Amino acid sequence: MGWLAERKQEPMATQVAISTPEAQTMPADGIIIQTEDLWKTYDMGEAIAVHALSGVSFSIDKGEYVAIMGPSGSGKSTLMNLIGCLDTPTQGKYWLNQNLVSELSDDELAYIRNKEIGFVFQTFNLLPRASALHNVELPLIYSGMPAEERLQRAEEALRKVELGDRMHHRPNELSGGQRQRVAIARALVNNPSIMLADEPTGNLDTTTGEEIMRVLDRLHEGGNTIVLVTHEHDIAAHAHRILHIRDGRIDRDERVT
Amino acid sequence: MADLSRTEALGAERARKRRVRGSLWVTAREAFWLALEALRAHKLRSFLTLLGVVIATTTLISVMSVVNGMNLYIADKIANLGANVFIVHQWQWAQGYENWLKARRRNKPIRIEEYELLKTSLVNYKNIGAQAGLWGDNDARYKGKVLYEVDVAGVTPSMIDIGQQKVGLGRYFTESDNDHRADVCFIGTDLVDEFFPNLDPIGKEITVKGVNFRVIGVATKIGTTFGQSQDKFIQIPLNTYQKSFAARPGLAVSVQAWNAQQMMVLEDETRAVLRARRHIPYAEDDTFGINASETLMSAWDRLTGAVFAVTIGIVAVFMVVGGIVIMNIMLASVTERTHEIGIRKSLGARRRDVLWQFIIESSVMAGTGGAVGVLLSLIISRLVNIVFTSSVPLNAVVIGLVLSTAVGLFFGIYPAGKAARLDPIEALRTEN
Repeated sequence: MGWLAERKQEPMATQVAISTPEAQTMPADGIIIQTEDLWKTYDMGEAIAVHALSGVSFSIDKGEYVAIMGPSGSGKSTLMNLIGCLDTPTQGKYWLNQNLVSELSDDELAYIRNKEIGFVFQTFNLLPRASALHNVELPLIYSGMPAEERLQRAEEALRKVELGDRMHHRPNELSGGQRQRVAIARALVNNPSIMLADEPTGNLDTTTGEEIMRVLDRLHEGGNTIVLVTHEHDIAAHAHRILHIRDGRIDRDERVT
Repeated sequence: MADLSRTEALGAERARKRRVRGSLWVTAREAFWLALEALRAHKLRSFLTLLGVVIATTTLISVMSVVNGMNLYIADKIANLGANVFIVHQWQWAQGYENWLKARRRNKPIRIEEYELLKTSLVNYKNIGAQAGLWGDNDARYKGKVLYEVDVAGVTPSMIDIGQQKVGLGRYFTESDNDHRADVCFIGTDLVDEFFPNLDPIGKEITVKGVNFRVIGVATKIGTTFGQSQDKFIQIPLNTYQKSFAARPGLAVSVQAWNAQQMMVLEDETRAVLRARRHIPYAEDDTFGINASETLMSAWDRLTGAVFAVTIGIVAVFMVVGGIVIMNIMLASVTERTHEIGIRKSLGARRRDVLWQFIIESSVMAGTGGAVGVLLSLIISRLVNIVFTSSVPLNAVVIGLVLSTAVGLFFGIYPAGKAARLDPIEALRTEN
């Protein structure tokens, strides 16, 4: 909560906020993600509104391993964009690590993405002309970390995904699995609250996919909170909880043991 | 309690500001290297993009260098009348043809009596001298050899302390030579080279307009100005000149002051003395000219001012064209790198991070163009110096670099703003 008040440059707001009803609904410690009646509506003109999400509420605890599943067009991607702070809801509230992010400006969202979220994309989304090391350094650059510390952290993250010997290779010199591992290292490097993996195995063959999933499993065992977006049951089976999305609503909240 | 948390919050606020500044510095440095990398990766494209800025910078610095070189040259060779010297003459120099015609009609030459008057009336000067000249078309002869277009001047003995000439061999005139109208001469090295290549020139007799003059001294070599030798002269005592060539010659009187401040005083005194003697009414202009180095330099500055005005126009056009080309390529680059911008934004790049990245990139690009322009103009200056004169002034280099970088910055603002405003989801979805 602390930095949010600072950002708005109203130090007193912290105290005022505590007594408002909003703040009273603030999630307890240990809850990383809490959404409350999230709506995302796209205005298609001519008074036609498409509801990509219609009232989604759920919460995710620290250390959970959650998969979000659903067929295409279910609102899965929209939900992922909201969770990833790439977009803001039309209506509803979203707390990420006790920050009410549903009402933040672009730059504040960027700050949250930098500090709280580690993305792993289906298409890896690495900078093609930069080395693996530099790709992993990027989030640290945007958080303003000095060079030596940055380098040290990035190298450490790459070693964690067993790419210590590939640091100076460019993405096109790496295999698909290695590229995804670079992306995972990049997602990890800033110690985010959650790791958000969007179809992380979608562009990989089954063996490599399994290998990537093992990396994610290991990270979860190490205490990271992981949110996985996928439409494959095999992949979702790695998670301990599956949120089924259909037509913009949560259809089923399934606990896997 | 409230106060405490307020101070805490303020402290945190300061810490945050430090963090943000730090982040901008880091991104700026990152953007700088990125820009150089981009330049290196697309050599041909960069070259074509930067051509406008390169030409503009090269033109600017080259013209400034040539003008600067000319300035130094003019100050040294043309306007160099001697240290703290002004010259009283029939008219003001370098005032244009019209003014010269008017002055020629209206003004009277400076006469020997006026020189004598100045010599006795001026209160405190370092030196005063006078010379009368037959410029240009004189033949000098020695034993069948002829040298054409020799300057012949009658001078007072004091001129050796005022003018450009130094005694290299023998001696200069004495008051006695002048008083006795001795047929002696002091010559430049061109005459020695022509007439006495392997002889001792002292004591030899040179004929000018049928009069023989005995050589008593030779000047040290001066060199050339705009390809014209300055060593092709014969000087004779002023009184001898009067006797042989002109009974009432028009003079150029050189007055040397002790220092620059005193020069102004002496000029005023000279003006007063001459106006009184010539009975010039209060409201009328001088009928003579007082010429100092500044007079000549200001005439020259008027000329170079016009050159500069034209140059600034040309450079401005090139810079704007160069800037637009850079803007165009930056817009293309933003489109081309939309996906990259999306990745950066997803990793936490704020609008200003992206804005900075692209503004710095276009500034570095244009600045590189400026640096290439500086190098080119240094080479051009070297080449020009072989046939003419050119000297690169430091401020031209600084102006060139700053101006080109500023152009890149200015024309980078719009493309950078476009990049900064991109929506991260849209940008990530764009594949290239």
